[in-house]
Amino acid sequence: MKRVKIIIVLGGILALLTSVGVAMATTGATTGYPQPKVVVPSTVSAPYEQRYVLTAVGSGAGIRSGEMKFEFEEGSSPEFLVGISEFYSYSPDGAIETSLFTFYPFTELPGGKGLKAPALKVGASASYGQVTPDGELQMFKIEGDKVKGQIRIHGGGPWPVEFRVLGDNESTGGHPPAAKQLPESEPNNPGWGGEAAEYDGEYELTNGAANPTEKAGTLGAVIGVAQGLGTQGAVVSGGSMTVKGNGAPATAEVTVETGGSSRHFTLTKLAWAGDKRVALVHDKGPSSPVVGRFEGTGGQGELKGRLIDGHSVYQVEFKMK
Amino acid sequence: MKTRFIAIAALLGVVGIVALAGCGGGGSSSSGSSSTSGSSGSSSDFASAADAACTTADKQIAALGTPTQSEVLQYMETTETVIEKLHSEVQALGGEGTAEKAYTEALGKSVITLNHMTNAARNENYDAVREISDELIELKLGELAETAGLKVCAEVPVTES
Repeated sequence: MKRVKIIIVLGGILALLTSVGVAMATTGATTGYPQPKVVVPSTVSAPYEQRYVLTAVGSGAGIRSGEMKFEFEEGSSPEFLVGISEFYSYSPDGAIETSLFTFYPFTELPGGKGLKAPALKVGASASYGQVTPDGELQMFKIEGDKVKGQIRIHGGGPWPVEFRVLGDNESTGGHPPAAKQLPESEPNNPGWGGEAAEYDGEYELTNGAANPTEKAGTLGAVIGVAQGLGTQGAVVSGGSMTVKGNGAPATAEVTVETGGSSRHFTLTKLAWAGDKRVALVHDKGPSSPVVGRFEGTGGQGELKGRLIDGHSVYQVEFKMK
Repeated sequence: MKTRFIAIAALLGVVGIVALAGCGGGGSSSSGSSSTSGSSGSSSDFASAADAACTTADKQIAALGTPTQSEVLQYMETTETVIEKLHSEVQALGGEGTAEKAYTEALGKSVITLNHMTNAARNENYDAVREISDELIELKLGELAETAGLKVCAEVPVTES
């Protein structure tokens, strides 16, 4: 009986050790990258062997948040860096998507300004381990725990990026905070078009979806609120907009209905450039504090974009009546 | 031999009586409860009492209005409390019909889901709050309420910003 107990205990310990071994093996992130033709001296690359969290990014990149890790390839000689990243991006329809990138091989930026590496996308449709070139990441010199740079992905950019180096025991818990969106070439023409007549008027919502709270009874209100949260964009079931200018700075009164809730916003500082349309969002009249921003495209009596109110995002499409 | 036969017969008789008494007890109890649930009076009692509880809950939820960013957690916490109380009240009514049971059960599930949503809001994970709320939609609580003959419970509380 005693012998059986010993066997059970030993078996348990063996199982535990095996499981730890598996975990350790899976966290070894970068293996199998060939020795690059050009190797950055480790004195230059070593300071970049860090974990980073994205703190700011050019708004055009459509990246909400992200984190990455650079580390020396295991067993490489001479040592070379490989980076892996996870970015949470806005898709064209406002949904949040995860983009995985590998950064390899690193080379030095001219003038010793930092490092750069091709951004290799790890696509969901690609075969296991297969990556495709998708852009480039440049990391300038690390200053304290901050490092600036720029990124080109999906055929666009470059967009400025700013990262913060994470401490040894620091973690985002898999939920990197939303990065600050850096404005870029902001539209600065007043109004939403060259002539007030182009955009002044009554609009109706054209992307109204089925009301998700319709059969929810008492839970309808909380569903309406919850469905408006997050980065994906609320399911808007109805709405209207009135834009008024008449020589004065134009403002827009917007009503959106989500489930059992009806929200009213005032948009001020309407501006445009090309087909871009932006505005500031207030929820208690034009003189109340700014709670968010409208960003979209428009022209010829149509307007579509994202109305952001704090944690709530409303994807709206309007057409002039 | 004869004495033994009589003893066995008597014993079987006693067992039989006990067994019948047991069945009878169960039967009477079950028939009692079925008569309770089966009576239309009880069913309408459930409906009116549940609707009264929903009226109170709806008022409390409507009074919360539409929360601003900083009010989302408080909104979730209060809603969870209101629905939890509503569930306790409806459960205590002991609806026995299939539709009544389905509504009560869904209400119980919604309390758990709301708790998850509140926790997500506590962590400021608003994407998760939204995602989890899909589970509330799937419950179709209003539809279940309607099937159970609950008019007020089937309605969505109207709030305005």
